[in-house]
Amino acid sequence: MAESLLSECTPLKKEYDSCFNAWFEGYLEPAVSASSSPEKYSEYSQRKAEEFQQKCGKIWEGYRACVQKALKEKGLDTMLQQSREENPLSRPPPLPPSGSSSS
Amino acid sequence: MKYHSQSFFYDDPWSIVSLAYFLRYPNPYASHIISCDVISRNVTPSGTLQTTRLILKRGSLPRWAPKGIISRAESWVLEESEVDPLGKTLRCTTKNLEYTKVMKMEESVFIRQTEDGQTAQTTEARVLSGFGWGLTKRIESHGLNKFKAHVQRSREGVSLILSLLRESRLQPM
Repeated sequence: MAESLLSECTPLKKEYDSCFNAWFEGYLEPAVSASSSPEKYSEYSQRKAEEFQQKCGKIWEGYRACVQKALKEKGLDTMLQQSREENPLSRPPPLPPSGSSSS
Repeated sequence: MKYHSQSFFYDDPWSIVSLAYFLRYPNPYASHIISCDVISRNVTPSGTLQTTRLILKRGSLPRWAPKGIISRAESWVLEESEVDPLGKTLRCTTKNLEYTKVMKMEESVFIRQTEDGQTAQTTEARVLSGFGWGLTKRIESHGLNKFKAHVQRSREGVSLILSLLRESRLQPM
């Protein structure tokens, strides 16, 4: 677990990361299979989201507030905003036709 | 614009590779990572997990780089990922936030489960320089070469985390 951008947020970040990682391990191996109905899967993922909120929600809020404050102080919030406006991250652009390396 | 793509396989199942990928910082092959923060994270209505992370990297400049353009050797990088545990895919796109006129670099990683239970990773890079002054091609080539070296180190880093995960799972609780 790497450091946070502001050292005073690092303890909060480490606590959040541990909580997230424990949840994430279970999330990656869903108890429902790809063959189950969309309703069943949607219900399952909603339950996983609620479980995360219950276990890590408070810790996340604390860590998030610390990082948001640090972003403002360092003027990084403007940089992030600009980047979002110029080039909103969504899907990666489509692949060029062929070849492994080209110019 | 320069484009490069390469693929390789892991023997481990997708869920463990994806966990290792998320846990890859810090590792000895990524000592250039100074900080890494989650900016936003949510489970979408379709059940995928979207995460945005802000990462500070220590970078080294090429010797021929014009002095004064890039004032410090650290740079901010934005990483956005989406994990689909049902479809067993992980997509992750990383791009630099600063000096984008000198060089825009975007890396996309796609990790998926193969039919025989292995895990495949495809990494793509797009490097674009709008610098001009006869340096555009040189900057783009430099960026691409750095990327190729980076993919190898990144792979070694993820493999190391994978072996640590394997060991810890073998230990009785």
